[in-house]
Amino acid sequence: MKNRTLAAQSERPTVTRRRFFKVAAAGAAGTTLIACAPGAAAPAGDDTQDESSEDSSAQEDGASSGEATTLLVGWGGAPANLDPITASADVEINLLNAIYDYLIDTDDQATLVPRLAESWEVSDDGLTYTLNIVEGATWHDGDPLTLDDILWTIERLRDPEAATSDLFSAVEGVAAGDGNQIVFTLNATTPDFLFNLSDNRAVILKQNAENIGSDFNGTGPFRLVEFNPEDRATLEANGDYWGGAPAIDQLELVFFGDATAAANALRGGQIDVLLRMDNATFLGFADEGFTNVNIATNGHDLVRLRADREPGNDERVRMAFKMATDRATIFERVQLGFGAQGRDTPVGPLYGAYYTEDFELPEHDPEGARALLAEAGYEDGLDMTLFVPNLADRVALAEVLAAQWAEAGINITIEPQEEAVYYGDNGWLEVDLGITPWGSRPIPQFYLDVAYKTDAIWNEAHFSDAELDEQIDIAGSSVNPDERVAAYREIQRILIERGPVIIPYFFAQFGVFSDRVSGVNVHPFAGRTNLNTASIS
Amino acid sequence: MANANSPLKSASGPAAQADWQVVVRRRLRAIARFIRQLFAQPSAAIGTLIVIFFLILALFGSAIAPYGENDQSHPTAVAPGTADYPLGTDFLGRDILSRVILGTSSIFVNAGLGTLVAVGIGTAVGLLIGYQGGWLDEVVSRLIDAFLALPALLIALVALGVVRGAVIDPTPTQRFLLDNSVLLVIAAVYAPIVARVVRGSTLEIKTLEFVQAARIRGETVPYILFREIFPSVVPALVVEASLRFSYAIFLVAALGFLGVGARPPTPDWGLMVSESSGGRFQLAPWALTYPAIAISLLVIGVNLMSDGIKNIVQKSE
Repeated sequence: MKNRTLAAQSERPTVTRRRFFKVAAAGAAGTTLIACAPGAAAPAGDDTQDESSEDSSAQEDGASSGEATTLLVGWGGAPANLDPITASADVEINLLNAIYDYLIDTDDQATLVPRLAESWEVSDDGLTYTLNIVEGATWHDGDPLTLDDILWTIERLRDPEAATSDLFSAVEGVAAGDGNQIVFTLNATTPDFLFNLSDNRAVILKQNAENIGSDFNGTGPFRLVEFNPEDRATLEANGDYWGGAPAIDQLELVFFGDATAAANALRGGQIDVLLRMDNATFLGFADEGFTNVNIATNGHDLVRLRADREPGNDERVRMAFKMATDRATIFERVQLGFGAQGRDTPVGPLYGAYYTEDFELPEHDPEGARALLAEAGYEDGLDMTLFVPNLADRVALAEVLAAQWAEAGINITIEPQEEAVYYGDNGWLEVDLGITPWGSRPIPQFYLDVAYKTDAIWNEAHFSDAELDEQIDIAGSSVNPDERVAAYREIQRILIERGPVIIPYFFAQFGVFSDRVSGVNVHPFAGRTNLNTASIS
Repeated sequence: MANANSPLKSASGPAAQADWQVVVRRRLRAIARFIRQLFAQPSAAIGTLIVIFFLILALFGSAIAPYGENDQSHPTAVAPGTADYPLGTDFLGRDILSRVILGTSSIFVNAGLGTLVAVGIGTAVGLLIGYQGGWLDEVVSRLIDAFLALPALLIALVALGVVRGAVIDPTPTQRFLLDNSVLLVIAAVYAPIVARVVRGSTLEIKTLEFVQAARIRGETVPYILFREIFPSVVPALVVEASLRFSYAIFLVAALGFLGVGARPPTPDWGLMVSESSGGRFQLAPWALTYPAIAISLLVIGVNLMSDGIKNIVQKSE
């Protein structure tokens, strides 16, 4: 569930009850912001900014003589849960990522990047992983980072009761090795194991840490100074950071009611950076003098038809839905051209070698779809209800699909659902026809394991295909890279030919920066964007 | 209005075998006089014309609107003012003029019929508890008080949240409730308010001689409620109903805006406003502006009309 709501939370809802009340709260927060601007948020104030641009050398002098440079990052929501095991929203992960360190990071190309583990080796049999831990890392309270801290954290994450235990399901044992090493022993080959270690929730805590989620003592580049969940988190740069002190003196994560309020604050000069927004909001920043960044992700909206009962149990019906869908129009109208067009599989272009366009998608052909439905016994077309989480772009997708499918004789009633109810009661696993947003992951195996295999816990389409299951197993266990590439190809072929899902597009991840900010690399999962590389001119 | 009722009262006695044609003629004359009085007030005349204008759109919208409600075969985000799209198109390429026109019926069905149902239920309950008094009045009145302590919007949100809560496979009854949930919620939140107004009038009227006379004659309670008391409640009821209608329009729009009202792609004005807000507002501000203007215009129209009605009723009293 976490992984699901994660996608949902991070995309901005527009018309929910929550938002209605949040908008009101945002109004209040906005007022506070303006009131505070001359004091706490001084460097972001227009006046100050003008001064600094008039005399930038004075600003640099000011920085070294104690006038702090502050980077203000806006989020369209506040953190609700900061225990790493259960944290999921972008803003929560972003705060954890600033305070703590991961063993291994990922970058915008979904490749592994060293963090506390400066290097690693994998044994030939693929069962032993040795991580070399960086020397000289210290906790914010001054104590040195020890291997025991790491082992304690791993045990906490591995606890069968913890939501993170599945990341370590193949781990037989973990122990300190020679020197500053951590050694994982697996009982089954898991070629993506290092990606599991880079999971959003796998930050390293100090041994026997108490009040996790409210007291924060990390090894990360920023130290938490003040935290007001209603307003902002103020962090100062960790001058002793093992990876080098950040170029900025202070970091503030500012919480807004929604992305629209945050976008307005960016325009008003109250924040410097916005990393999470819907397509239209990002498009609105074009030609406004900001630095706009737009990168590919593997996050996607998925339209799925239950394959274990009528009408979706007929392969021809599934094909008819695919043929009735005009992906190019959806991409243009719902995504406004941002991101990438999808090919009905969760293996997207972000995954490089695993991704293929060799298999042809059925062409948009409403008449052909109608004929296929008739052949399957639905001469009069279909009347179905399309369930969709009540979030702006998802509802728009439903509206476009309803218009397109109507041409093929598929009449749709759109039923928007409040997320808390829809996911909370597992209604999303029951409905015949539904739209589900999935967040971006650095590996394709995650989606396949949790949602596409016959016995997967979130197999929402109830699809069961022996050939697909076999290929998913090969892809998830083989240590032979070529074999994995071949398996992912087969998986894409099967899903395109007879799969129960339509994936019309992959999201883009956005970043909008004021002109004084540079050095930030936007991450496909917005919350994983590292802010210690930022600099302010 | 109240004066026009007095001849009816004498005609309603059992002895007078009333010539119903005379009655109908009198009533028509009273209505005609009422309409004359309404249009004699400039602001009420404007308001009434606005309401009639939208009522025509609601009734004949599908014949008037140039395109269908979810017809996406047009270019997206066309600015208003072109011959093809006088009010522009939205982010999905739907004609806004057509959607504003077609959305009128959703407002009138939900707010209008919802108000009528609320008036029907509220009148029956109000007459009964006002006339009977005693413990029935105490209990129901306190319940109404408790209900009125909560904002209508909040009650509506909770009620719709429950009704809409992931009903995966609705039975025909559930389907009916789902399809008419907004109308029913409007009726439910406003019926108690109407009941209280009617109860207040009933308490006054039931002490009057003609009611006492009817009771002594041995008339049944329903007869007394609807033939004796009800006609005298009508003026207050008409004022209250028109006021409720204007609130109901706003409530329907608010529910649509909050996403618990009409289902997309229904061209519900509130839903149109919310769909075009946020980041999309910058791309096609007109997609938000015109439905918002339509909501304002209709609410203003109903309010002006309602003021006019109130003036006439007060004058005649």
